[in-house]
Amino acid sequence: MKIKTIVIGFIIILLFAFASADKSLFTTPKNWPKPVYNFKKNQLTDSKILLGRVLFYDPILSRNNTISCANCHSQYTAFTHVDHALSHGIDDRIGTRNSLALMNLAWHQSFMWDGAINHLDMQALAPISHHDEMDENIKHVTEKLQASKIYQLLFYNAFNDSTITGENTLKAISQFMLIMVSANSKYDKVKRMEDSFTKQEENGYRLFKQNCASCHTEPLFTNREFENNGIPIDSLLNDIGRKRITQNDQDYLKFKVPTLRNIEFSNPYMHDGRFKRIYEVINHYTNIQKSKTLSLKLQKQIILTSNEKVDLTAFLLTLTDKGFLFNPKFGFPKEVLLK
Amino acid sequence: MKKPIIFILLFILKLNGITAQVNVYFNPMFVGNKLELNKQYFIVNSTNSIQIETLKFYISNMEFYNTEQLVFKEKNSFHLIDAEDSTTFNLMINLKPNINFNQIKFNIGIDSITNYGGAMGGDLDPTKGMYWTWQNGYINFKIEGKSNLSIAKSNDFLFHLGGYQNAFSTLQTIQLPVQNSQVIPINMAIDKWINEIDLAKQNHIMSPSKEAVILSNKLSTIFSVTK
Repeated sequence: MKIKTIVIGFIIILLFAFASADKSLFTTPKNWPKPVYNFKKNQLTDSKILLGRVLFYDPILSRNNTISCANCHSQYTAFTHVDHALSHGIDDRIGTRNSLALMNLAWHQSFMWDGAINHLDMQALAPISHHDEMDENIKHVTEKLQASKIYQLLFYNAFNDSTITGENTLKAISQFMLIMVSANSKYDKVKRMEDSFTKQEENGYRLFKQNCASCHTEPLFTNREFENNGIPIDSLLNDIGRKRITQNDQDYLKFKVPTLRNIEFSNPYMHDGRFKRIYEVINHYTNIQKSKTLSLKLQKQIILTSNEKVDLTAFLLTLTDKGFLFNPKFGFPKEVLLK
Repeated sequence: MKKPIIFILLFILKLNGITAQVNVYFNPMFVGNKLELNKQYFIVNSTNSIQIETLKFYISNMEFYNTEQLVFKEKNSFHLIDAEDSTTFNLMINLKPNINFNQIKFNIGIDSITNYGGAMGGDLDPTKGMYWTWQNGYINFKIEGKSNLSIAKSNDFLFHLGGYQNAFSTLQTIQLPVQNSQVIPINMAIDKWINEIDLAKQNHIMSPSKEAVILSNKLSTIFSVTK
């Protein structure tokens, strides 16, 4: 009798385990590489994604409850900090880098401009703890969350446990970031034969493939590597890039190649936000100063006429995905946070 | 017909019922005695004082050997030991029954694969204060205190040893001969390790570095088993 009950119990548990993992919450777009993130260790559910979204928009993550993730990663600007070359955080303190746009993070195995973080789950710890960003620590965050009835309920719904841990807090934030997939721009529609480029965009795409695609590789529009793209070091910031992490001279001035998706909305550009406009970026690439660690892909000079620059820009604008930028499922969770 | 089934069941119960629990006990010492936090000690043969305020470290991947043969490996073997909480000194390990061993092997710190594993719970939860956030990774061994030798503010010293990537890997593997018994006391001569550091010249490490590797390598010499 007992064994039978145990077996049935097991079957029920297994059924629930499969039922709760809803595959439709995340789909890999056609012809994209396999995601890097291990979803088996953090299976997506609606309740965990909701919790992650609430945490993303809640300033409770910062020391004095004033700064949320969304402060520097606002949806309408491709989840980055628009208008600020260097992102600012708590008490108006200014950091040393331009916040990265957030999208398609399931395909990345390193995070930050210098790759200091090796896993999406651990990424949020950096801004939470950084003196100039949220100036908090994760232990205190979990204590603040534990004191909140709403969070007790959200965590219980998500993890069947109202005891709030660092692990579950971080996994929930990851879940929300994982579903931020941008794959429905005009470019994507053209690729799926649902739309077509104008002549100008078509020519821009040709120029892009010739001059830019080796680093900004399709379909993610980043090769996910670290490269020195030839911008001279800012002597005030003295940011040495990836070398800070590896302490390897070959990584001097190398930064993560950012995606070009939604570039129309993710200005300013570069790790220190030195360029405000797309044309400034293109002009930079046609006028590169050589240096020791300059990307091998930039050794040959890029030559573009002014018409070609316009065409290239026209193509870059086809990477805008309004369905991503204005999708309410990534927006402020007013149903929870305004209560 | 029914009898053999009952016998098989009883046999299974018996197997599951008997687990040999072994208590591996870590004992941080200072000059031959149990380490007391915040107590003022004097460095041997000198008037220089030292006190330890924090001592936290990970013990992981506990394995039992009979001569060179692996006879038991603890699953999910991650233990955070904190000098402030002596209950953490005792690792209760459930061995399979009838295992003979004469050596144990374990790591100080967290291996590289786990460091790449994302958010984890229990002793590995990042709320435990043993996780670096600006360049992520576990702190394997953390010691903080004061000494008049340190020229830092308030005579503080702090050594947060960690790093898991290639040249900066600080993970240490310790192998010790032990007696096949239910209690295995392991002494750690913290004073011996501190004496290796010139506190007048070096008073902090807080990131993966060559210095962290050097000091971590020296940890391997401070473990011993009481006979």
